[in-house]
Amino acid sequence: MIPVSYNLRNLTVRKTTTAAVALGLGLVVFVFASVLMLSNGIKKTMGRSASPDVAVVLRKGATAELESVIEEPSINLVLNDKELPLPATGPRGIAELVVVILLDKVGAPGLSNATVRGVADGSLAFRPNIKIIAGRAAQSGSDEVTVGKAIRGRFKGLDLDQTFELKKNRPVKVVGIFEDAGSSYESEVWADLNLVRASFRREGVVSVIRARVEPSKFDGYKASIESNRQLNMQVLKEAEYYDKQSEGTSTFIAAMGIMIAVFFSVGAMLGAMITMHAAVANRQREIGTLRALGFSKASILFSFLIESIMLALLGGVLGAGASLAMGMVNFSMVNFASWSEISFRFEPTPGIIAGGIIFATVMGLFGGLFPAIRASRVSPIDAMRS
Amino acid sequence: MEPSIVELKGITKTFQRGKEPIVVLDGLTLEIPTGSFEALMGPSGSGKSTLLNLIAGLDRPTQGSAVVAGANLVSMSDGELAKFRARHIGFIFQAYNLLPVLTAIENVELPLLLTNLSKTERRERAQTALRVVGLEERMKHYPRQLSGGQEQRVAIARAIVNDPTIIVADEPTGDLDRKAADDILNLLERLNKEFKKTILMVTHDPHAAERAGVTRKLDKGQLQ
Repeated sequence: MIPVSYNLRNLTVRKTTTAAVALGLGLVVFVFASVLMLSNGIKKTMGRSASPDVAVVLRKGATAELESVIEEPSINLVLNDKELPLPATGPRGIAELVVVILLDKVGAPGLSNATVRGVADGSLAFRPNIKIIAGRAAQSGSDEVTVGKAIRGRFKGLDLDQTFELKKNRPVKVVGIFEDAGSSYESEVWADLNLVRASFRREGVVSVIRARVEPSKFDGYKASIESNRQLNMQVLKEAEYYDKQSEGTSTFIAAMGIMIAVFFSVGAMLGAMITMHAAVANRQREIGTLRALGFSKASILFSFLIESIMLALLGGVLGAGASLAMGMVNFSMVNFASWSEISFRFEPTPGIIAGGIIFATVMGLFGGLFPAIRASRVSPIDAMRS
Repeated sequence: MEPSIVELKGITKTFQRGKEPIVVLDGLTLEIPTGSFEALMGPSGSGKSTLLNLIAGLDRPTQGSAVVAGANLVSMSDGELAKFRARHIGFIFQAYNLLPVLTAIENVELPLLLTNLSKTERRERAQTALRVVGLEERMKHYPRQLSGGQEQRVAIARAIVNDPTIIVADEPTGDLDRKAADDILNLLERLNKEFKKTILMVTHDPHAAERAGVTRKLDKGQLQ
């Protein structure tokens, strides 16, 4: 076998070309890994909102909290079902109303949707992971709101001690900022349930009921609620609910991103192919000499393929490395399920990084294949003639 | 009389230029005894390099039989010819043909990569070959750091490192000045006399041909 050092040194000899092609391939890997990280970030952000022992109760047929309408009398029936055990601590469940409002964006022209969650006493106690990190909790029955840290400052009036209009002539004051380990709650405004009902003329209804159910009791509870025709409701595990919420957006992002990366990859592969063709043309005599010395056509083909793959791997490592830096970037976009802005982070995983590098290897393999075949067909007599 | 290492009978080699066939070797018969040092001379286009290529297993004749080192080259596939060259032929080219990105010792080691020798054994052999050509102290130099004469000596080390049956040299002194050319010819002479290597050298230079034991002249595809 022709030593790998031969290929490695040839790559270092033509530094500029190697760098240019590696950067092109790296860009493709960067796009590929970044979109997968973003797609994963969306799933993780939504997934972080889920607790394993929480059931989400929605109106049958509703695919999101925003679409669901539950009348007040049903709340007691749902939370006092015989299959719902009393939790050791904290409230048995909570009922919330979710609406979307239009607010002025900060730092960008135009308006965008923000999710407002009407919460009752016990919402914070029901979600013990949520912490007030600035200011204080809003007082029940007041015009005070708390804001998730991801949405803080992204809209006009959404910062501590600022005010904004929940609805026309309904000013509310931000008295606290909360965090929840990067979950989608951090992209919400939390206001008093009755205030939201009154502001949006939704008296007597909520969007969603959350109940505390041990995983082993979930099936019994679900069967009990869903079989009650009077209620006409569906019960989902919270993780399952958020999976469905993130599915559309994350799949769209991943599909778009992969499509863009595949288009880019054609250009990058052509770049690698042209470079490798040039390398073969410039090294005719070397190839002929190797053939004369007794190296087979297969070993020449393999050697040039290895060189192309090494070039692609360099690009892959550069691209994957650069995509890791995206982990520090926060990204805000409309979630298709709630039609409101949610802040996401690019979430890398070893699988995504490995996938990016494998993608680069495949580009190197395809980009280098034809030049390598051409190299393997060089006649050894050329070495004697040149 | 030593047995023949090269036996060519009725060799014809024809190339096609457009529709017109060009006869480069025309019914040539040649025997080269084992251990000889022969020079092949002739004007440009006389077929010297083509003959050398046939003997070295780089090409096949259009007609005739070619047995080299006991192997019938005419019936061999491309893969078999590659193995034949790796085992039996040591090449010396006019332009040295060293791989510029490999050091002297790595260049010399190349033919040994086709053997089953361990890395240590390969290094030892390559070092020995460089010692024979007097370049052991330059083994870590790249070709660009060597003079033309030194490059050709590295190429000779590469040609002898796997102990080939025949060394074929195509104008080995063509790119060198007189002094460097003499050094190379001395080295070839030594390989022939001291190491009993069979050498077939194509040259235009009568001074170089004088150093060979036998000089054969080729003209219009036939030996004179």
